[in-house]
Amino acid sequence: MSAPKAPVNPNLKIMAGALVCEDCELIGDITIGARTVIHPKARIIAEAGPIIIGEFNIIEELVTITNKSSTDANSGKVLIIGNNNVFEVGCHVEAIRIGDHNVIESKAKVGSKVEISNGCIVGCGCILNMNEALPENTVVYGDKCERRIQRERPPAQMLQIDFLTRILPNYHYLMKPNLNVNVRAPVKK
Amino acid sequence: MELLDEFYNSSQYIETASGNKVSRQSVLCGSQNIVINGKTIVMTGCVIRGDLANVRIGRHCVIGQNAVIRPAFKKFSKGVAFFPLSIGDHVLIEEDSVINAAQVGSFVHIGKNCVIGRRSVLKDCCAIADNTVLPPETIVPPFALFSGSPGKMVQDLPDCTQDLMTDITVSYYQHFKPHGKGK
Repeated sequence: MSAPKAPVNPNLKIMAGALVCEDCELIGDITIGARTVIHPKARIIAEAGPIIIGEFNIIEELVTITNKSSTDANSGKVLIIGNNNVFEVGCHVEAIRIGDHNVIESKAKVGSKVEISNGCIVGCGCILNMNEALPENTVVYGDKCERRIQRERPPAQMLQIDFLTRILPNYHYLMKPNLNVNVRAPVKK
Repeated sequence: MELLDEFYNSSQYIETASGNKVSRQSVLCGSQNIVINGKTIVMTGCVIRGDLANVRIGRHCVIGQNAVIRPAFKKFSKGVAFFPLSIGDHVLIEEDSVINAAQVGSFVHIGKNCVIGRRSVLKDCCAIADNTVLPPETIVPPFALFSGSPGKMVQDLPDCTQDLMTDITVSYYQHFKPHGKGK
Protein backbone atom coordinates (compact mmCIF):
# COMPACT_ATOMS: atom_id res chain seq x y z
CA MET A 1 0.00 0.00 0.00
CA SER A 2 2.89 2.33 0.69
CA ALA A 3 4.77 4.15 -2.00
CA PRO A 4 7.69 2.37 -3.64
CA LYS A 5 10.85 2.51 -1.57
CA ALA A 6 13.92 4.55 -2.32
CA PRO A 7 16.75 2.85 -4.24
CA VAL A 8 18.15 -0.20 -2.53
CA ASN A 9 20.72 0.43 0.17
CA PRO A 10 24.14 -0.55 -1.28
CA ASN A 11 25.54 -1.49 2.14
CA LEU A 12 22.77 -3.96 2.83
CA LYS A 13 23.88 -7.59 2.86
CA ILE A 14 21.24 -10.25 3.09
CA MET A 15 22.36 -13.88 3.33
CA ALA A 16 20.59 -16.48 1.23
CA GLY A 17 17.65 -17.93 3.15
CA ALA A 18 16.87 -14.76 5.11
CA LEU A 19 13.41 -13.30 4.72
CA VAL A 20 13.28 -9.52 4.72
CA CYS A 21 10.05 -7.74 3.85
CA GLU A 22 10.42 -4.81 1.53
CA ASP A 23 8.19 -2.57 3.61
CA CYS A 24 10.78 -1.94 6.32
CA GLU A 25 13.39 0.69 6.87
CA LEU A 26 17.02 -0.45 6.68
CA ILE A 27 19.52 2.38 6.83
CA GLY A 28 23.30 2.07 6.78
CA ASP A 29 25.66 -0.90 6.79
CA ILE A 30 23.56 -3.90 7.79
CA THR A 31 24.26 -7.62 7.46
CA ILE A 32 21.37 -10.03 7.92
CA GLY A 33 22.15 -13.70 8.53
CA ALA A 34 20.50 -16.75 7.00
CA ARG A 35 17.00 -17.78 8.14
CA THR A 36 16.37 -14.48 9.92
CA VAL A 37 12.82 -13.18 9.47
CA ILE A 38 12.19 -9.44 9.39
CA HIS A 39 8.53 -8.46 9.42
CA PRO A 40 7.20 -5.40 7.58
CA LYS A 41 7.57 -2.00 9.27
CA ALA A 42 10.68 -2.91 11.24
CA ARG A 43 13.37 -0.22 11.41
CA ILE A 44 17.06 -1.01 11.57
CA ILE A 45 19.32 2.01 11.59
CA ALA A 46 23.08 1.70 11.54
CA GLU A 47 24.06 5.30 12.18
CA ALA A 48 27.15 5.02 14.39
CA GLY A 49 28.52 1.85 12.85
CA PRO A 50 27.51 -1.38 11.13
CA ILE A 51 24.89 -3.79 12.46
CA ILE A 52 25.43 -7.52 12.02
CA ILE A 53 22.42 -9.74 12.67
CA GLY A 54 23.02 -13.48 13.03
CA GLU A 55 20.88 -16.46 12.06
CA PHE A 56 17.41 -17.59 13.09
CA ASN A 57 16.30 -14.25 14.52
CA ILE A 58 12.75 -12.93 14.36
CA ILE A 59 12.32 -9.18 14.15
CA GLU A 60 8.65 -8.21 14.33
CA GLU A 61 6.85 -5.09 13.17
CA LEU A 62 7.57 -1.62 14.63
CA VAL A 63 10.81 -2.86 16.17
CA THR A 64 13.59 -0.29 16.13
CA ILE A 65 17.19 -1.48 16.28
CA THR A 66 19.69 1.36 16.28
CA ASN A 67 23.46 1.38 16.48
CA LYS A 68 23.94 4.57 18.43
CA SER A 69 27.20 5.74 19.88
CA SER A 70 26.70 6.31 23.61
CA THR A 71 30.13 7.98 23.87
CA ASP A 72 32.63 9.17 21.30
CA ALA A 73 34.93 6.33 22.29
CA ASN A 74 32.74 3.60 20.90
CA SER A 75 31.47 5.34 17.82
CA GLY A 76 32.08 3.26 14.77
CA LYS A 77 31.81 0.01 16.71
CA VAL A 78 29.82 -2.84 15.30
CA LEU A 79 26.52 -3.89 16.88
CA ILE A 80 26.51 -7.68 16.74
CA ILE A 81 23.28 -9.55 17.33
CA GLY A 82 23.73 -13.32 17.76
CA ASN A 83 21.46 -16.16 16.75
CA ASN A 84 17.95 -17.27 17.75
CA ASN A 85 16.82 -13.95 19.20
CA VAL A 86 13.23 -12.74 19.11
CA PHE A 87 12.40 -9.04 19.01
CA GLU A 88 8.69 -8.63 19.63
CA VAL A 89 6.34 -5.92 18.36
CA GLY A 90 7.42 -2.38 19.10
CA CYS A 91 10.59 -2.96 21.09
CA HIS A 92 13.44 -0.51 20.98
CA VAL A 93 17.02 -1.77 21.00
CA GLU A 94 20.23 0.26 21.04
CA ALA A 95 22.41 -2.23 22.91
CA ILE A 96 26.19 -2.62 22.66
CA ARG A 97 25.96 -6.33 21.93
CA ILE A 98 23.27 -9.00 21.98
CA GLY A 99 24.15 -12.68 22.36
CA ASP A 100 22.07 -15.74 21.47
CA HIS A 101 18.62 -17.03 22.48
CA ASN A 102 17.33 -13.75 23.89
CA VAL A 103 13.75 -12.52 23.85
CA ILE A 104 13.06 -8.80 23.88
CA GLU A 105 9.32 -8.52 24.45
CA SER A 106 6.86 -5.89 23.23
CA LYS A 107 7.56 -2.25 24.05
CA ALA A 108 10.74 -3.05 25.96
CA LYS A 109 13.56 -0.54 25.65
CA VAL A 110 17.20 -1.53 25.79
CA GLY A 111 19.46 1.51 26.12
CA SER A 112 22.74 2.16 24.34
CA LYS A 113 24.98 1.15 27.28
CA VAL A 114 23.50 -2.29 27.86
CA GLU A 115 25.13 -5.55 26.92
CA ILE A 116 22.91 -8.61 26.73
CA SER A 117 24.57 -12.01 27.01
CA ASN A 118 22.67 -15.23 26.20
CA GLY A 119 19.24 -16.59 27.12
CA CYS A 120 17.90 -13.33 28.57
CA ILE A 121 14.30 -12.16 28.50
CA VAL A 122 13.47 -8.48 28.71
CA GLY A 123 9.79 -8.38 29.62
CA CYS A 124 6.99 -6.27 28.19
CA GLY A 125 7.50 -2.57 28.76
CA CYS A 126 10.73 -2.98 30.77
CA ILE A 127 13.26 -0.23 30.28
CA LEU A 128 17.01 -0.80 30.66
CA ASN A 129 18.98 2.41 30.37
CA MET A 130 21.80 1.97 32.88
CA ASN A 131 25.36 1.05 32.05
CA GLU A 132 25.18 -2.69 32.63
CA ALA A 133 25.75 -6.17 31.30
CA LEU A 134 22.95 -8.69 31.81
CA PRO A 135 24.33 -12.05 33.02
CA GLU A 136 23.22 -15.23 31.24
CA ASN A 137 19.59 -16.32 31.52
CA THR A 138 18.42 -13.14 33.25
CA VAL A 139 14.71 -12.35 33.18
CA VAL A 140 13.66 -8.73 33.58
CA TYR A 141 9.96 -8.52 34.34
CA GLY A 142 7.11 -6.50 35.79
CA ASP A 143 6.54 -2.76 36.10
CA LYS A 144 9.47 -2.34 38.51
CA CYS A 145 11.84 -4.18 36.15
CA GLU A 146 12.70 -6.84 38.73
CA ARG A 147 15.37 -9.40 37.90
CA ARG A 148 15.74 -13.10 38.34
CA ILE A 149 17.89 -15.82 36.84
CA GLN A 150 16.11 -18.68 35.16
CA ARG A 151 17.47 -22.19 34.90
CA GLU A 152 17.12 -22.64 31.16
CA ARG A 153 17.17 -20.34 28.21
CA PRO A 154 14.01 -19.60 26.24
CA PRO A 155 13.35 -22.18 23.50
CA ALA A 156 14.36 -21.48 19.93
CA GLN A 157 11.56 -20.41 17.60
CA MET A 158 12.46 -22.73 14.73
CA LEU A 159 8.87 -23.79 14.07
CA GLN A 160 7.68 -20.22 13.93
CA ILE A 161 10.48 -19.28 11.52
CA ASP A 162 9.55 -22.23 9.30
CA PHE A 163 5.93 -21.14 9.31
CA LEU A 164 6.74 -17.50 8.60
CA THR A 165 9.12 -18.31 5.77
CA ARG A 166 6.29 -20.31 4.21
CA ILE A 167 3.52 -17.75 4.74
CA LEU A 168 5.11 -14.32 4.37
CA PRO A 169 6.22 -14.64 0.70
CA ASN A 170 2.55 -15.09 -0.24
CA TYR A 171 1.65 -11.64 1.04
CA HIS A 172 4.72 -9.41 0.90
CA TYR A 173 7.35 -8.23 -1.50
CA LEU A 174 10.70 -9.40 -0.25
CA MET A 175 14.18 -8.01 -0.54
CA LYS A 176 16.39 -10.32 -2.53
CA PRO A 177 19.28 -12.03 -0.73
CA ASN A 178 22.56 -10.85 -2.24
CA LEU A 179 25.04 -12.97 -0.34
CA ASN A 180 25.70 -16.69 -0.37
CA VAL A 181 25.77 -18.52 2.92
CA ASN A 182 29.35 -19.72 2.79
CA VAL A 183 30.91 -16.89 0.86
CA ARG A 184 31.47 -13.88 3.10
CA ALA A 185 33.32 -11.17 1.26
CA PRO A 186 32.26 -10.94 -2.39
CA VAL A 187 28.84 -9.48 -2.98
CA LYS A 188 27.06 -11.20 -5.81
CA LYS A 189 25.13 -9.02 -8.14
CA MET B 1 -20.75 14.94 27.60
CA GLU B 2 -20.59 15.85 23.96
CA LEU B 3 -17.39 14.97 22.14
CA LEU B 4 -15.63 17.65 20.17
CA ASP B 5 -15.45 17.28 16.42
CA GLU B 6 -12.22 15.72 15.26
CA PHE B 7 -11.29 16.59 11.72
CA TYR B 8 -9.22 14.51 9.38
CA ASN B 9 -7.84 15.23 5.98
CA SER B 10 -10.24 13.51 3.59
CA SER B 11 -7.44 12.65 1.18
CA GLN B 12 -5.70 10.71 3.94
CA TYR B 13 -8.62 8.39 4.60
CA ILE B 14 -10.50 5.90 2.49
CA GLU B 15 -14.19 5.59 3.22
CA THR B 16 -15.73 2.28 2.18
CA ALA B 17 -19.33 1.61 1.19
CA SER B 18 -20.11 0.20 4.63
CA GLY B 19 -18.80 3.36 6.29
CA ASN B 20 -15.37 2.21 7.39
CA LYS B 21 -12.76 4.94 7.50
CA VAL B 22 -9.30 3.56 6.97
CA SER B 23 -6.20 5.72 6.97
CA ARG B 24 -3.96 5.46 3.95
CA GLN B 25 -1.01 5.46 6.33
CA SER B 26 -2.16 2.29 8.04
CA VAL B 27 -0.64 -1.06 7.12
CA LEU B 28 -3.10 -3.82 6.38
CA CYS B 29 -1.09 -6.95 5.59
CA GLY B 30 -2.95 -9.69 3.77
CA SER B 31 -6.01 -7.52 3.28
CA GLN B 32 -7.97 -10.41 1.75
CA ASN B 33 -8.05 -11.99 5.23
CA ILE B 34 -9.24 -8.88 7.06
CA VAL B 35 -12.97 -8.34 7.53
CA ILE B 36 -14.08 -4.98 8.90
CA ASN B 37 -17.83 -4.96 9.33
CA GLY B 38 -18.66 -1.30 8.97
CA LYS B 39 -18.44 2.15 10.57
CA THR B 40 -15.05 1.31 11.99
CA ILE B 41 -12.22 3.84 12.07
CA VAL B 42 -8.67 2.62 11.49
CA MET B 43 -6.30 5.49 12.20
CA THR B 44 -2.85 6.46 10.98
CA GLY B 45 0.02 4.06 11.58
CA CYS B 46 -2.08 1.05 12.58
CA VAL B 47 -0.79 -2.36 11.63
CA ILE B 48 -3.28 -5.18 11.11
CA ARG B 49 -1.65 -8.53 10.31
CA GLY B 50 -4.15 -10.38 8.17
CA ASP B 51 -1.31 -12.33 6.57
CA LEU B 52 -0.76 -14.44 9.67
CA ALA B 53 -4.41 -15.44 10.17
CA ASN B 54 -7.92 -14.12 9.59
CA VAL B 55 -8.86 -10.94 11.43
CA ARG B 56 -12.49 -9.97 11.91
CA ILE B 57 -13.40 -6.61 13.34
CA GLY B 58 -17.02 -5.73 14.22
CA ARG B 59 -19.02 -2.56 13.73
CA HIS B 60 -18.38 0.85 15.28
CA CYS B 61 -14.86 0.07 16.45
CA VAL B 62 -12.14 2.68 16.79
CA ILE B 63 -8.53 1.61 16.35
CA GLY B 64 -6.21 4.34 17.54
CA GLN B 65 -2.94 5.53 16.06
CA ASN B 66 -0.04 3.07 15.85
CA ALA B 67 -2.03 0.22 17.37
CA VAL B 68 -0.95 -3.24 16.26
CA ILE B 69 -3.47 -6.02 15.79
CA ARG B 70 -1.75 -9.31 15.21
CA PRO B 71 -3.09 -12.85 15.57
CA ALA B 72 -1.25 -14.90 18.19
CA PHE B 73 0.59 -18.11 17.53
CA LYS B 74 0.69 -21.31 19.49
CA LYS B 75 3.22 -24.07 19.27
CA PHE B 76 1.93 -27.57 18.67
CA SER B 77 3.81 -30.81 18.43
CA LYS B 78 3.63 -30.40 14.66
CA GLY B 79 4.51 -26.84 13.76
CA VAL B 80 2.89 -23.64 14.87
CA ALA B 81 -0.49 -22.17 14.05
CA PHE B 82 -1.66 -18.61 14.19
CA PHE B 83 -5.09 -18.21 15.77
CA PRO B 84 -7.73 -16.20 13.94
CA LEU B 85 -8.50 -13.02 15.84
CA SER B 86 -12.02 -11.71 16.22
CA ILE B 87 -12.94 -8.36 17.69
CA GLY B 88 -16.59 -7.63 18.56
CA ASP B 89 -18.65 -4.48 18.05
CA HIS B 90 -18.17 -1.11 19.77
CA VAL B 91 -14.57 -1.76 20.75
CA LEU B 92 -12.33 1.22 21.46
CA ILE B 93 -8.59 0.58 21.14
CA GLU B 94 -6.46 3.60 21.96
CA GLU B 95 -3.10 4.52 20.51
CA ASP B 96 0.11 2.43 20.67
CA SER B 97 -1.55 -0.70 22.03
CA VAL B 98 -0.49 -4.14 20.86
CA ILE B 99 -3.29 -6.70 20.63
CA ASN B 100 -2.06 -10.30 20.48
CA ALA B 101 -5.36 -11.68 21.77
CA ALA B 102 -7.31 -14.66 20.46
CA GLN B 103 -10.64 -12.98 21.01
CA VAL B 104 -11.90 -9.56 22.02
CA GLY B 105 -15.60 -9.34 22.88
CA SER B 106 -17.95 -6.43 22.28
CA PHE B 107 -18.07 -3.15 24.24
CA VAL B 108 -14.42 -3.42 25.26
CA HIS B 109 -12.21 -0.45 26.04
CA ILE B 110 -8.45 -0.90 25.70
CA GLY B 111 -6.41 2.09 26.87
CA LYS B 112 -3.24 3.64 25.52
CA ASN B 113 0.09 1.81 25.32
CA CYS B 114 -1.27 -1.58 26.45
CA VAL B 115 0.12 -4.95 25.53
CA ILE B 116 -2.47 -7.71 25.39
CA GLY B 117 -0.58 -10.99 25.68
CA ARG B 118 -0.77 -13.92 23.33
CA ARG B 119 -4.05 -15.83 23.09
CA SER B 120 -5.72 -13.70 25.78
CA VAL B 121 -9.49 -13.69 25.75
CA LEU B 122 -11.26 -10.44 26.53
CA LYS B 123 -14.93 -11.09 27.22
CA ASP B 124 -17.72 -8.59 26.52
CA CYS B 125 -17.94 -5.32 28.48
CA CYS B 126 -14.48 -5.27 30.03
CA ALA B 127 -11.87 -2.56 30.14
CA ILE B 128 -8.07 -2.40 30.20
CA ALA B 129 -6.47 0.69 31.75
CA ASP B 130 -3.66 2.64 30.07
CA ASN B 131 -0.14 1.10 30.13
CA THR B 132 -1.40 -2.33 31.17
CA VAL B 133 0.53 -5.47 30.25
CA LEU B 134 -1.66 -8.57 30.17
CA PRO B 135 0.35 -11.79 30.37
CA PRO B 136 -0.26 -14.48 27.72
CA GLU B 137 -3.47 -16.51 27.98
CA THR B 138 -5.18 -14.11 30.40
CA ILE B 139 -8.95 -14.32 30.46
CA VAL B 140 -10.60 -11.03 31.31
CA PRO B 141 -14.14 -11.61 32.63
CA PRO B 142 -17.06 -9.33 31.76
CA PHE B 143 -17.42 -6.07 33.73
CA ALA B 144 -13.84 -6.11 34.99
CA LEU B 145 -11.22 -3.38 34.79
CA PHE B 146 -7.65 -4.69 34.50
CA SER B 147 -4.62 -2.57 35.21
CA GLY B 148 -0.88 -2.81 35.95
CA SER B 149 2.01 -4.96 34.79
CA PRO B 150 1.22 -7.82 34.98
CA GLY B 151 -2.43 -6.82 34.61
CA LYS B 152 -4.73 -7.60 37.51
CA MET B 153 -8.37 -6.91 38.16
CA VAL B 154 -8.71 -3.67 40.10
CA GLN B 155 -12.35 -2.70 39.83
CA ASP B 156 -15.82 -3.67 38.67
CA LEU B 157 -17.44 -1.81 35.84
CA PRO B 158 -21.02 -0.49 36.08
CA ASP B 159 -23.92 -2.48 34.64
CA CYS B 160 -24.43 0.20 32.00
CA THR B 161 -20.99 -0.40 30.41
CA GLN B 162 -22.66 -1.68 27.27
CA ASP B 163 -24.59 1.57 26.80
CA LEU B 164 -21.58 3.71 27.70
CA MET B 165 -19.36 2.01 25.16
CA THR B 166 -22.08 2.17 22.49
CA ASP B 167 -22.44 5.90 23.14
CA ILE B 168 -18.70 6.54 23.05
CA THR B 169 -17.98 4.65 19.85
CA VAL B 170 -21.06 5.89 17.98
CA SER B 171 -20.46 9.51 18.92
CA TYR B 172 -16.76 9.17 18.12
CA TYR B 173 -17.71 8.01 14.64
CA GLN B 174 -20.17 10.85 14.23
CA HIS B 175 -17.63 13.44 15.32
CA PHE B 176 -14.84 12.06 13.15
CA LYS B 177 -15.39 14.34 10.19
CA PRO B 178 -13.51 15.01 7.00
CA HIS B 179 -11.72 18.32 6.83
CA GLY B 180 -13.31 20.85 4.51
CA LYS B 181 -16.02 18.53 3.18
CA GLY B 182 -19.25 20.14 1.96
CA LYS B 183 -17.73 23.53 1.31
